[in-house]
Amino acid sequence: MSDAKTPLPAEALNHLDALYNLARWLARDPTEAEDLVQETYLRAIRAAHQFQPGTNLRAWLFQILRNTFFTRYKRKGREPEVMDPEVLDRMSTLEGPTGVENRLAGPQDGTAGLDLTAALKRLPEAYRSVVLLADVEDFSMGEIARIMDCPVGTVKSRLFRARAILKELLRDYVS
Amino acid sequence: MECAEAREHLSDLNRGHLEAGTAEAVRAHVGQCASCAAALQREAEVRALIQARAPRYPAPPALRSRIQAAMAQDAFGGPGWRALLRSHPWTVGSLAGAIAVLLLVWGGTLWMARDPVSRLAAQAVAEHVEYAKEMMNRPIPDPPALVKELRSQVDFSFEPIFRGDSQVQLVAGLVSDLLGKRAAAFVYRDGSGRYTTLFLMPEAGTTIPAENRMPIETFKPHHRVTSGRHLLLWKQRDLACLLISDLDEAEMAAMFLKIRKAA
Repeated sequence: MSDAKTPLPAEALNHLDALYNLARWLARDPTEAEDLVQETYLRAIRAAHQFQPGTNLRAWLFQILRNTFFTRYKRKGREPEVMDPEVLDRMSTLEGPTGVENRLAGPQDGTAGLDLTAALKRLPEAYRSVVLLADVEDFSMGEIARIMDCPVGTVKSRLFRARAILKELLRDYVS
Repeated sequence: MECAEAREHLSDLNRGHLEAGTAEAVRAHVGQCASCAAALQREAEVRALIQARAPRYPAPPALRSRIQAAMAQDAFGGPGWRALLRSHPWTVGSLAGAIAVLLLVWGGTLWMARDPVSRLAAQAVAEHVEYAKEMMNRPIPDPPALVKELRSQVDFSFEPIFRGDSQVQLVAGLVSDLLGKRAAAFVYRDGSGRYTTLFLMPEAGTTIPAENRMPIETFKPHHRVTSGRHLLLWKQRDLACLLISDLDEAEMAAMFLKIRKAA
């Protein structure tokens, strides 16, 4: 299991709040978020020998968190997505109205009065994570690409689309 | 510069992450494109809003204590970190007592078992117990897809696996780690909520003890009982296979046959 000669660097603990914060946005409730973070550190401790000193420990931990999130959902046979990212990927975002408002708005609520938390939670996980990693954690596009295991171009387009969707959802706040 | 290219850079421009030359080219494009200018403004507004208004959730103190303790245990080299991390909330104050208990009860199994098969058995049983705790109780919707995914995650191939039947369901498949070796683990659950875990890993370095062989039809896997669970260990082609079960000996033998014959 863990390589006793390679303990997890002590500074890993400095990133606990940030990891827990993302976990709260990924998991359904605080207990699940705690379990997710706990398992993330467990895996990091186990895999500490794979971490290369001098590389980005923070990004490495976030990568483990996200992988753990998916493994847990698969293990439980649950579906983490709120919306199908492929549907969103097909939406036009470059010119004119995005049309996302109609697609995202639930039966009882329009965009007015929707708060930021609710808006973020309505994004698919892949979009929500990109926004949080970029704007809250201030990761570079390259770091996010590594964390999310996708090309940098995908990260950029998801971030662009996520912001377009959020702006639609939050029109009253932003404009 | 075209709109599509400019928009790829808007976020980095706002964050000051662009090289001077690229930043200048993007700014030049934005200066003459109303649509991209609006998009740039939107990027900045939404980013500022998220930074200012998105709730931040600090880690609960109990979680911090558990992780601190687990890291300290790991740095110290003790085996108890895993159980420590898994068990539920302990405060720092109760840590010393907890560690003592772990060393005596849980750690004892791992530490005092000197031979590799005993250590393998102890770790595998610990994993099995954790899987059961996860309350996995739904059948895997698409076993072939799961097997395909697991094959891509481990560095060895394996034959078709038992997918369950009317008595037992395959409820999980995951990558595990036993004595530093990557293993594929398949978890089955019967109608009474009893779990059986099958671990597959490369056989290199694993010696199947000659004693305590259990004759099951034409097969003779090694049998032992670890922490109250029956365990069977055998080789199959170039794999070491480990079966751990909450079932009794006879039921486990039947389960072994289903698994062995599926391959």
